[in-house]
Amino acid sequence: MTPDILNTIEVILNGLMTGVMYSLVALGFVLIFKASGIFNYAQGVMALFAALTLVGFQTGQIPFSHLINEIFGTHVHNWGPGLNSVLAILLTILVMILFAWLVEKLLLQYLVNQEPIILFMATIGLAFFMEGLGDLMWGADIKTLDVGIPSGGSFWWEDVTRTWVSEGYEYYGMYIDLLDVWAAGIAVLLVTILTLFSQYTKTGRALRAVADDHQAALTVGISLRSIWVIVWSIAGFVALVAGIMWGSKSGVQFSLSLIALKALPVLILGGFTSIPGAIIGGLIIGVGEKLFEFWIGPLVGGATENWFAYVLALFFLMFRPQGLFGERIIERV
Amino acid sequence: MFYRESGDFKTSYVQDQQIFPILQDRVFVAVVIAFAFLVVPFLINDYWEKSVLLPVLIWSLAAIGLNILTGYCGQVSLGTGGFMAVGAYASYKFTTAFPELNLFIVVLLSGGVTAMVGILFGLPSLRIKGFYLAVATLASQFFLVWLFNKVPWFYNYSASGQINAPERLIAGITITGPNAPPWATYLFCLIFVVVLALIAKNLTRGRFGRSWMAIRDMDIAAEIIGVAPLKAKLSAFSISSFYIGIAGALFFLVYLGAVEPTEAFGIDKSFLVLFMIIIGGLGSILGSFIGAAFMFLMPVLIKNIMVNGLGWSPDIVAHLIFMIVGGLIMFFLIVEPHGLAQLWRIAKEKLRLWPFPH
Amino acid sequence: MQDTVREDDILLEVRNISLSFGGVTALENISFDIRRGEVRAIIGPNGAGKSSMLNVINGFYHPQEGEIWFDGKLRHHMKPHQVARLGIARTFQNIALFKGMSTLDNLMTGRLINMHANLFSQVAWIGPAQREEIEHRQKVEEIIDFLKIQSIRKTPVGKLPYGMQKRVELGRALAAESKLLLLDEPMAGMNLEEKEDMCRFVLDVNEQFGTTIALIEHDMGVVMDISNRVVVLDYGKKLADSSPDEVRNNPEVIDAYLGVSHD
Repeated sequence: MTPDILNTIEVILNGLMTGVMYSLVALGFVLIFKASGIFNYAQGVMALFAALTLVGFQTGQIPFSHLINEIFGTHVHNWGPGLNSVLAILLTILVMILFAWLVEKLLLQYLVNQEPIILFMATIGLAFFMEGLGDLMWGADIKTLDVGIPSGGSFWWEDVTRTWVSEGYEYYGMYIDLLDVWAAGIAVLLVTILTLFSQYTKTGRALRAVADDHQAALTVGISLRSIWVIVWSIAGFVALVAGIMWGSKSGVQFSLSLIALKALPVLILGGFTSIPGAIIGGLIIGVGEKLFEFWIGPLVGGATENWFAYVLALFFLMFRPQGLFGERIIERV
Repeated sequence: MFYRESGDFKTSYVQDQQIFPILQDRVFVAVVIAFAFLVVPFLINDYWEKSVLLPVLIWSLAAIGLNILTGYCGQVSLGTGGFMAVGAYASYKFTTAFPELNLFIVVLLSGGVTAMVGILFGLPSLRIKGFYLAVATLASQFFLVWLFNKVPWFYNYSASGQINAPERLIAGITITGPNAPPWATYLFCLIFVVVLALIAKNLTRGRFGRSWMAIRDMDIAAEIIGVAPLKAKLSAFSISSFYIGIAGALFFLVYLGAVEPTEAFGIDKSFLVLFMIIIGGLGSILGSFIGAAFMFLMPVLIKNIMVNGLGWSPDIVAHLIFMIVGGLIMFFLIVEPHGLAQLWRIAKEKLRLWPFPH
Repeated sequence: MQDTVREDDILLEVRNISLSFGGVTALENISFDIRRGEVRAIIGPNGAGKSSMLNVINGFYHPQEGEIWFDGKLRHHMKPHQVARLGIARTFQNIALFKGMSTLDNLMTGRLINMHANLFSQVAWIGPAQREEIEHRQKVEEIIDFLKIQSIRKTPVGKLPYGMQKRVELGRALAAESKLLLLDEPMAGMNLEEKEDMCRFVLDVNEQFGTTIALIEHDMGVVMDISNRVVVLDYGKKLADSSPDEVRNNPEVIDAYLGVSHD
């Protein structure tokens, strides 16, 4: 193989890995959308918030220390050396469950039966609120997140791919980040667990019932409100996983919530109600934007990743508004 | 004199169709406009111009634009920042290519160009609705800003990649550039805002407004009674973009003077304008003004109190403002989806009956 | 009887209409006509395809087979808003009013197909735009008087009680001054008094304005009282097409309503 082909393969592989990351965020959207018909714009910020909280627990930060110092003139920062990763993750999960409960209590229960677009805008408000809250609680500086997932290039893969090149070319091997490989593995695991959960547990069945028809679910005695808390908790957990992956890769910072915006076109491709759709949509966008940047980017000045996903989604919508896996919508009057 | 309509009989449909059916309202609005045109220009200084009046006027215009699309026609757009950028860059290209062109015409043409771009990006709305469309409009936001960053023709190949407003005069008075007197820039914007607000009111209470609202409230029924969705949606997109484009042109020409697209027209601006109309009132021209003033001035006020007054660090205050804004959005959507304008209307309803509410 | 009708007496004729969604057949080879000036009822059990039939006439659904003749001309593939301009107005089974607008605005919206003032006169609100607005306002006020809804003229329709909303919806359809009025269960969910009012309005519209009416209704008493001819659908097929009395005594129709098994 020539280095050109090998380079293209490398781009595709990297695209797939990025796509997995998008899929992780998109997964959270799909869960909430299926169960409550809410398009949760705040999913990305939830990932940021979860990652911030995790780092906060790991490093033993005192929440709101900046605010406290500002008001009382104190100089508190840490309450201790911090927790180990497992404990910190467990505590963060608890925080996300608490968050889910608060969202239901303070926001969702007042917005039942509102139009979807109103709910959507409410979650934009929620996103802003959490962004401010996260920064206020843990500080706005960029944080490194390390929960012990291996990272850095894989030498083994470099060695293997170096032998693929045809005679007479010089080639140094493909770069693939171990972290990305781990992320892909964890994503597969996560999807498997979620699928098993929704197929084989009582709560899972209730979730699917609610997703099918709110009213009908209510009449058979499923509590919509507790279902919502559960779903938002699961989405919070998925956000935490996504936050750990993204955070380990590029640091926990504000741009994390912007990357999460990319999950929106992913959803449009995959359809809002399909978990496999979210995965495949994420992969398409990941590979698509990397290849586009690789081939077309140099011709037009680069940075096409900023918009490629959205424009792709836009064209896609023109031809298949229901997404790849969505069912054709028959409108009635 | 009591504030009420009893005794104020309407004897023709013309009278019944007035923008402000109640006499006191008419008087009040007339006084406000007269004050804005005749008194404010003599009192204005640099601080009031740059920190309060210009931005509020310009954001009001952008909010009216988005309100036409979102509040009246029901199509949520997150591309406002991108469309403002189109207006700004169009005005830059017009005024540098034709230095003699009257500034009023430059601004209007910029609005026209933005309207065309708006139609282009509005085309998907024929097939998709709701948040699908909102996501599609993100494409315009990111693509347009990228375009103005990457294609040198748009910024006349300047080394910095920025665009700077050249000095332009109308009737011997400097309107743009660093030497423009505050009263001149203020009046320039005010004329646009007043005229365009009136036009928006006229459009929304007539044939166009009704077909937009019909699409918003129940698109299928609207089509079946004869509203052509293509015409209604694209006219909303184009007129809305026209307003937003003009706001973008003014934002660049008279307010900022120099612009770097990612900074000036980022996605945060799209959200800002969306929040303005949610808080001010969806489907209300008056609400656009209230929302713009509120969303722009509230953070300034909080910053003034906390940073200058209490001496807190600007970082923390900025985060607090994020929380307050987000909280307010949720609060308004729960309690009063029609925004501040509705609260104002309710207050007036009460006032009409006062002092005999029963 | 059919033979004595002259060609141009027929306002609308559907011929061999078949409609299906995916594999599900909603209408199968349906043909009937609606004569000028008559009240035509379409009846049948739930799921018989009545609303689908109206949707086809409206241009909202496009049948896979069949022809629609309106006003003596074969209608080609049309969008609903084009059909509305031909002169077909309609009300809906589940009220489809514009909830954010007042009664007056809903009715004015119903007149949109008759309004033509261009963008520039709209902008200035003088000249043609204002003249047009007033002219149509007068028409709408006539309808408001006719339906006796003066007192709710400026109330947002979302706040009106159910029966009133149905009435406003009828008003909106009337405002279009169409040749053919399609009413999809105009009396569903009403109490006796409201039903009587609505019957009166339907008959008055038919007699005073000469509007041809096609209605779907479940209340057999109402159908027998006000309609000239009845077409019966069941499982997407036409079961009968005759005068109310004949339909009432048709054993197949009785079976369909009482649910005799289909085998």
